[in-house]
Amino acid sequence: MSTTKTPQVNEVNEFLEIASDFEDPLEVIRESLSNSYDAGATEVEITIRDRPIGSEIVIEDNGEGMDYADLESFFDLGNSTKRDPSSDAIGYKGHGTKIFYKSEEVLVNTSKEGTNLRAQMEQPWEKLNNRVMPEYEVRERSVKEGNSGTHIRITGFKSGRGFSPSSLTYNKIEHYLKWKTLAGSTAHYFTDDYHEMDVYITLGDEIDDTQGTLKLNNKLEFPDEQIEPGEGNFPESRMCKHYPPRELTVETDDGDTATIEIVGMIGGKDARNELPTYGKHSAQFGIWLAKDYIKVERVNEVISHDNEFLHFFFVANCQDIELSANREKIRNKSSAIYQAIKEELSHYLSKIASDPWFKDYLNQRRKAKLSRRAKSQQSSVEDREKQIHDRERFVPSNDAEVVLGLERSNRNGVLPEIVVEDYDPDVEVNALVRQDGSLYASSIHHKLTDHFGADKPLEAVDKIICWSYGDPDELSELERHGYHGGDIAFDLNAGRIEYQNGRKHNIHIVSVEQRF
Amino acid sequence: MGFQQKQHGNNGFEIANQAGAARTGTLQVGDTELETPNLFPVVNFYAGGTSSSLYGGGIHRTMKEFMNGDEVINGGDYSEYFDGVMTSVASLTDYGITKERYEEYIDTPIKERDLFDFDGVLFVDSGGFKFLGDKTLDGSDFEVDVDQRAIIDIQRKLGADLVLNLDRPIEPDDDYETRVQKARMTAQNVDQFLELTNRQKQTRYLTLHGYNYSMLNTFLTEIEKVIGKDRVHREFDGVALGSLVPLKDNKGKLITAVSDCREVLNDWGFDDLPLHILGISSSAIPLLAAVGADTFDSSSYLHAAINGKYHTSLYNTEPLDDVDFSNCDCPVCSDDKLVNWMKGDAEYQKDKLGAVSMHNLIIQKEEIRRVREAINKSGTDGLIEYFEQSLSRHKSMQQHAHRVVNDSLGGYF
Ligand SMILES: [Zn+2]
Repeated sequence: MSTTKTPQVNEVNEFLEIASDFEDPLEVIRESLSNSYDAGATEVEITIRDRPIGSEIVIEDNGEGMDYADLESFFDLGNSTKRDPSSDAIGYKGHGTKIFYKSEEVLVNTSKEGTNLRAQMEQPWEKLNNRVMPEYEVRERSVKEGNSGTHIRITGFKSGRGFSPSSLTYNKIEHYLKWKTLAGSTAHYFTDDYHEMDVYITLGDEIDDTQGTLKLNNKLEFPDEQIEPGEGNFPESRMCKHYPPRELTVETDDGDTATIEIVGMIGGKDARNELPTYGKHSAQFGIWLAKDYIKVERVNEVISHDNEFLHFFFVANCQDIELSANREKIRNKSSAIYQAIKEELSHYLSKIASDPWFKDYLNQRRKAKLSRRAKSQQSSVEDREKQIHDRERFVPSNDAEVVLGLERSNRNGVLPEIVVEDYDPDVEVNALVRQDGSLYASSIHHKLTDHFGADKPLEAVDKIICWSYGDPDELSELERHGYHGGDIAFDLNAGRIEYQNGRKHNIHIVSVEQRF
Repeated sequence: MGFQQKQHGNNGFEIANQAGAARTGTLQVGDTELETPNLFPVVNFYAGGTSSSLYGGGIHRTMKEFMNGDEVINGGDYSEYFDGVMTSVASLTDYGITKERYEEYIDTPIKERDLFDFDGVLFVDSGGFKFLGDKTLDGSDFEVDVDQRAIIDIQRKLGADLVLNLDRPIEPDDDYETRVQKARMTAQNVDQFLELTNRQKQTRYLTLHGYNYSMLNTFLTEIEKVIGKDRVHREFDGVALGSLVPLKDNKGKLITAVSDCREVLNDWGFDDLPLHILGISSSAIPLLAAVGADTFDSSSYLHAAINGKYHTSLYNTEPLDDVDFSNCDCPVCSDDKLVNWMKGDAEYQKDKLGAVSMHNLIIQKEEIRRVREAINKSGTDGLIEYFEQSLSRHKSMQQHAHRVVNDSLGGYF
């Protein structure tokens, strides 16, 4: 028997608009997984090939299959693929299989209760663009009861720019599925309706030949808990604590209520790395809002600023958020219920952040950082020891060591004895020294040039005490240009600076190096 | 944990239930029992308190009319909110009264005055807090040298049930030497206090001053040096933690002070003694009760009213002009006459603000009743749930509520 059917539609234009959002063949898979799950499948196999005629996506499941009414619904552009609005089926109110229209052919082969239906729709996308409603042809035959299931083949899917199946890899697909589809669902933590479903993904060798079929399940699972810190330089990095599923109830001032189902973990970097990744850690951790137990968008603003969101991974499911057609965005962000959801999450997260374990975890992290710093201090001590061993005699490397060098030269009996009586590194005339019973205002520097580099005046200084003179050219330049508006001359042999700025001023230079 | 039960006269404290460090109990003072945690409203019996006095009384007078259930406030029975009240000896020194007036005032014990129908617990402090900020407790107007002996005399003449020694509170800027010096001065007073008071007649509380464990430990050590170990351990019916008023806006420090105080008391073997927190009320009460405070005193119900603030909860106030009185079912807000007063239709400002004060006090007393009920539920769940519904819903208080839940009640997870 063969009949020809035309889907009911009066929303072609609307659909064409919506369809422009669907560019990624992975979204086809996301919708298919939800459909298969809703059909009670325990296994679903997905194959993607990059053919010369375009990409081909095949989805095969062992669900309950479809009858005529189901098919009608499946191909119906105006409504959902799901008939029972009261069911919790994921595709309900979604855009489901509409995305399949963006292709050159849709072929559905489905068996339900002893009847097999084969439905074929040709050139749906081209027809829609010509404002022609595509038809599908259904052929019916009998099959053995109990062999239910659905096989869908989509040929020539119109991927958007940059979303070609040839750019897919197993790695990429796994992470996408775990983050953005039912394969990363948190339903198993909350609902009795949950059933397990194995997901098999095969990519054609022309796409990725690095491994065979990929097997996934349909649940988000957290890395194993590790409450105590580990060993080594990063003891906190594998720490991980689970925060068990909780139901939070939200009520707006208007009396609207919503339920949030939240589950999550806090963990260090190594623990987080055991999760599937979805880009950088900064793009993936924090608090996710979910619908149908599938993550949609993050709301990291519900974590207070002083708690870096990176440590957190929570999924908060709420059926009262409304999604954009491609499920990437939440649409009802300005609603009172959304605000109330955020407030409740913020409250709940504040409790998590106050958990002594989390504080301990942060503490471990801080302690490890300090101990790493101590180790680097240690190694700097070792470096310095080596420098001391390597050098032949005392060489200062800063102003204070020049002071020590001067004292050492006194101990060695070098004359004249110059004793530092007062040293304050924070003032311009940083030392008072005693020589032959008199006190002299002095400027002590590693190099003579440092005094000028620091732009210190000369008028108040009797002596400049330095280890060495520094760059002679710098001194020459000072003689050429003058200093602070006065003429300056260095007589290094005589150990003297002659400075003339209004009146003449002689400054004694002490080279500590020469006293050794 | 043993009970300090009626070993001395009729005074004692019996713990009923515990939730973490929080506890409910019964404070027996003479013939009166007070459920804890509880709140003593601060009442000024002097101002407007004698039959002939109309001077300066103002709002205090209206409060006493509420205590009495006088006809002028429409005869309602408010006595349950005055199961215990505190009054300060400093209420005398503040008013610059004459010797004559002073003697008239202390002539008859408060509970025996014809004017009052009050049979709750009368807690009379020592006015030590008046020493704060370079002020003195000055009785020169009525020609009395204010020392420990004089304070006890006043406390006795007022008919106090529960008394404190004269103390020297500390201030946040005090250095170690200053604090020790103050502890020694307090210790001298304590010595005299024990000599001059009789535990059979009055419930005696020892004042403590410190912001953390070490400071409180140092304080107790100084007290012990002067009065000896035995007396520290045997002579007091309770302890009162003071010096917290300068920290009143820093709830984190308040929690630390009170929970450390509880810890010091445990380590010193005072764990059965009730702990009063001097001068702290309003929104800190549940937090401090959760870490082991048993009683509080409040003048904030009055101050809020004087500043035109009407409490909608322990944590929130509204400007009086914005209030919808029908949202409150307390006896004040259910009384048309009093509501009219609060709306401004009162002959005297004191009546308008007095009614608001009474309402504010009821809000505070009702809240502390809820805290008691929460502690009395088995385990810590009741109190955790209490915080979940109250303080932890307020952004400014959330972190403190979480801290108390984590530190004292076993945490959320
Ligand atoms: Zn009221």
